[in-house]
Amino acid sequence: MKDFFKKLPEQAVRVVTVFIGLVLILLVVWRFILPPELKDHDLQITATVEREVAKEIKYAGAQICGQCHEKEPEIKKVGYHRDLSCESCHGAAQKHVENPTEVKPTSPKKRDYCSYCHKYNSSRPTGFPQINPDRHNPRKPCITCHNPHNPKPPTTPRSCAACHAQIERAKAASYHALIACAVCHTTPEKHKVSPRTVIPTKPDKREFCGKCHDKGSSRKGVPTVDMAAHGEKYVCWQCHYPHTLGGI
Amino acid sequence: MEAVQNFMELSKQVVGFIYPNEIDIQWSILIVVYPYITGLVAGAFILASLVKVFNVKELQPTYRLAMLTALAFLLIAPLPLQLHLGRPERSYEMFITPNLSSAMAMFGFVYLWYLMLVLLLEIWFEYRRDMIVWSSESTGLKKWVLKFLSLFSTDISEKAVAFDKKTVKIITIIGIPSAFLLHGYVGFIFGSIKANPWWSSVMMPVAFLFSAIVSGIAMVMLLYMIMVPLRGGKIDMKCLDKVASFLFYTVIVDFSIEVLDFIHRLYESEESIKILSQLVTTKLFMSLVVLQILMGMLLPLGLMVVIKVFRLQEEVRKLLYFVCGLLIQLGIFSTRWNVVIGGQLFSKSFRGLTTYKMELMGIEGFLVALALLIIPFVILSILIKLLPPWKKEELAGVE
Repeated sequence: MKDFFKKLPEQAVRVVTVFIGLVLILLVVWRFILPPELKDHDLQITATVEREVAKEIKYAGAQICGQCHEKEPEIKKVGYHRDLSCESCHGAAQKHVENPTEVKPTSPKKRDYCSYCHKYNSSRPTGFPQINPDRHNPRKPCITCHNPHNPKPPTTPRSCAACHAQIERAKAASYHALIACAVCHTTPEKHKVSPRTVIPTKPDKREFCGKCHDKGSSRKGVPTVDMAAHGEKYVCWQCHYPHTLGGI
Repeated sequence: MEAVQNFMELSKQVVGFIYPNEIDIQWSILIVVYPYITGLVAGAFILASLVKVFNVKELQPTYRLAMLTALAFLLIAPLPLQLHLGRPERSYEMFITPNLSSAMAMFGFVYLWYLMLVLLLEIWFEYRRDMIVWSSESTGLKKWVLKFLSLFSTDISEKAVAFDKKTVKIITIIGIPSAFLLHGYVGFIFGSIKANPWWSSVMMPVAFLFSAIVSGIAMVMLLYMIMVPLRGGKIDMKCLDKVASFLFYTVIVDFSIEVLDFIHRLYESEESIKILSQLVTTKLFMSLVVLQILMGMLLPLGLMVVIKVFRLQEEVRKLLYFVCGLLIQLGIFSTRWNVVIGGQLFSKSFRGLTTYKMELMGIEGFLVALALLIIPFVILSILIKLLPPWKKEELAGVE
């Protein structure tokens, strides 16, 4: 071994020494200076868990409310708000659980709280009840008509726009603006009370659109095509979206 | 308030439909500078390797300059990333908690390898003899700096120098794949982002690599043409012609690869092709069609063909080479811009384009990017002062 080192040229020994020195410094830093949490994955996880667990708990969770409040959860269970947790509206309630008499959770009674979810916004899914707060019973608190635990509308919605506001607004600017929804969608009366179980129809035959848009149609001022040759195997709305301007 | 104003300004320039989080692009000018700089490193090293591994004797005058250029740029290469990410003081954690499944994390090791075991080591062995000689000739601080840099080595016997030469050759051979890895990685990162059709392509690492070689060779050529007269020397035309030849060939290869990629995309015509062609013909028209392809590639190619076909005078050749070098730098910088910024300008819905407004001040702004591009030249000038790439006889044109 000694001979091997003697055979190495002087400069190689120097470079190798520098590299060994660097590696040794790294090892010393690694072994003695770095805190163990930085090196051991398990310790790192434990430290994170400890840090998170030490934080104050603010929310009590969805189950515990029913232990004292019997009436409301029963009503909520069958209503449209069944998937909302109590604390979504009443705020963090852990303190109330610990001290039920002195700490009371909030209960929003003003209009603006409900409109967080129910004010019209085009990005909300269709079918989600949305209103224009300026036109829908202005200044009247929502809870005078709707029980928040089962917010069924007091009267059956008159127009489709009550839930399908986005489509209604898009359609109002399209060529189909003057055609009522029910012309194309056969809507059972029951859809208004149980919207998710009874669903309206959609035109499923090409001939339906052809009534106005086939070249043989008697309608005036409507764009027509030869239905026999145009896009044979597709239903029209697979390419032409009927609610938007131009419908393409 | 400023953010709102900025948002309103940007929203006016949005075309079509984009998702809300796409209006503001995340990878800014700093991420454009980063692959540009690493590309110069890899390219300069490849030029240097032509001398040592492939024995292209004519290029000898550029060898040391190329190595120093690579080092100067490599030292700055991680800075744009660290400034972009913030918290540079945490970057060492990448080394002590290695994440084998992250290409970005592993790149720290590629960088370290390339800096410590390729560039620094090769430069050290290359300059060792000279450092010993220079330190014995100088006085004061310089003497001790050189002594320290040579690690107080003293042996300048023929045997020792022969060992240096052999080691340099071995390191260069290891260095070529390392340089490929260094810059191929940058292309790999972009190429492996499968959600982005502008980036996601296996051609990406190869295209990055060749554009890197082009930019590196052009940069060393420019520096050679500037530094030699500045140091009172005469430009070796044989060397310059040879560098330009290599530049010419690599530009052709680079151009072919990019054309291949382009044709492949057109032929494949995936669903993104419409938005990409809209991107190329509107937002990127200036930087891609005009700057990158016409001015940065076809014009220099044409100029180099002219130089090769007609026997032009030395002075005209020098001028044209210089212009080519500058145009190529512009073109390659635009290439980086088009990849990084271009890839973020179109919506993932493929239905709209956003826009990029560069800041002037601020950590992600133009001034910082400019500073990052200038610092390597400052480092290089210090390196050249300390470790001159040419001896006096070489500068005078004596073999």
